[in-house]
Amino acid sequence: MTEESLLILENVAVGYGRRVVLPEVNLRLRRGSFSGLLGANGSGKSTLLKTVLGILPPLGGQITLTPINGQAPVLGYMPQRESLDPIYPLSSYEIVLMAACGRVGPGRFFNKAERQFARQCLAETGAADLASKLFSQLSGGQKQRVLMARALATKPDFMLLDEPTAGIDAHATRAVMEVLKQIHAQRHQTVLLVSHDLGTVREYAQDVIWLHEGKVLHGAVSDLLTRDKIEELLDLELH
Amino acid sequence: MDTLREILDPNFLLGNSVYISLLVGLVCPLVGVYLTLRRLIFMGVALPQISSCGVAFAFALQAWGIIPHVHESEHSLAFIGSTLFTVPTILLLSFMVRRGGGAIESRLGTVYVLAGAASILLLVTNPMGEHGLLDMLKGEIIAVTNADVRRTAATFGAVVLTIFLFRKEFLLVSFDREMAITLKKNVVFWDGLLFLLIGLAISMTVLSVGPLVAFGFLLIPPLIAHMFARNMRQFALLASAIGGFNALLGFCIAYRLDFPVGPTDVALLGILYGLGFPIKKILGLFRAKPEEARIAHSA
Repeated sequence: MTEESLLILENVAVGYGRRVVLPEVNLRLRRGSFSGLLGANGSGKSTLLKTVLGILPPLGGQITLTPINGQAPVLGYMPQRESLDPIYPLSSYEIVLMAACGRVGPGRFFNKAERQFARQCLAETGAADLASKLFSQLSGGQKQRVLMARALATKPDFMLLDEPTAGIDAHATRAVMEVLKQIHAQRHQTVLLVSHDLGTVREYAQDVIWLHEGKVLHGAVSDLLTRDKIEELLDLELH
Repeated sequence: MDTLREILDPNFLLGNSVYISLLVGLVCPLVGVYLTLRRLIFMGVALPQISSCGVAFAFALQAWGIIPHVHESEHSLAFIGSTLFTVPTILLLSFMVRRGGGAIESRLGTVYVLAGAASILLLVTNPMGEHGLLDMLKGEIIAVTNADVRRTAATFGAVVLTIFLFRKEFLLVSFDREMAITLKKNVVFWDGLLFLLIGLAISMTVLSVGPLVAFGFLLIPPLIAHMFARNMRQFALLASAIGGFNALLGFCIAYRLDFPVGPTDVALLGILYGLGFPIKKILGLFRAKPEEARIAHSA
């Protein structure tokens, strides 16, 4: 089991500064798994994700990302689109090309192969026709496709997506999730998807990590997202 | 046209002033692009004032007898004073901006007025340097030596080259700091280098043309270019081109009408900015038409 785990969290405390949001997280994510990270607003989903990504330092405990072929796994991060300032006059293509910065060192230029790969990633997420358009002028669903292309363009071993379907309509949500499902199926990519949308996680994820009142529950979707379990967790009666 | 030919003549008496204006016009907007994108426009106003304060302080040290007065080293002394005030301030302010907590505008405003007041007080204590410094604060770009042009060109050349070489790193840490961290970029280093370059460019600009012109060229060309740019390359090149064009035209007008160059440059930038809005509207109409045709065709 340990050999198969890509991410291991042991007694990890997460939070901002001195404010602990989740005091003790113990988790193992299998390589190639598709996990949904669920929880209410303020439950610590994004904080946990940013801690795994190394954006926030853990307040305690140990985070291990198992090396792949002797190398630290490459993380493909898709942030919430609102976190990106619309003042930047960046085309969608320029946004995706940024992902190559992990491979192309300082002072070096993006070569033809990298530029082609960026376009290929845009095509893979159905955003090829958006390449020359200003990112700031795209709709919510279009932005998510471009940001997913950027995460793909990092050539990731592990994709971490922060609320990719937040604030977009049902049609765009389905389109974005189908692209992600396809990527997971074709590339056997490990995916961790942050969402507050129970239905999306139930439909697309294999495992679920549920953050509830400071506790972390981890299990298969079929075990955790049953009607009885949800009723028990949320202490309500579903009709 | 005759005026343009005259000021571009290699034997033109004020040739160095033209070169300095042009250098400032071309380079300051490139630096200003990052101040605009990082929403640090207020910093673009405060920093030249800090830089002037540094120059005034350096000259005051001479007047107080703390540093011996050597005429040949005046420019270097002013540059050191300006840089020593500007670079730590920009690093400190950018750190405060990153930490958030609000009220950054009020801090920048406070820094601006304090630096302005300190510059005037330092000037009063230094009657020797008063005349030259007042010219600098007014934006008089007249008494420029060959050495001034060489120094400015060398500093700006280094700044532009560094920004060009590391533009993808600067853009990444500015636009998406979190992603930069996930890609194992040293964001503190790249931020620090960017602000160091901005500080150097501002110090040299203030020294060459004064704070007023520095404000103008740092901020207005990027604001105009932002209205029209469809990608980052266009944004940077357009801002620089607008700055260069304005510098040349401003010099022509000032020379022809016997106006001070700096205020003429800034006033002209204001006019170009004002013209930008209707031009954008008109261009928008032209852009909308092919788009409508494409939609109608596909329907």
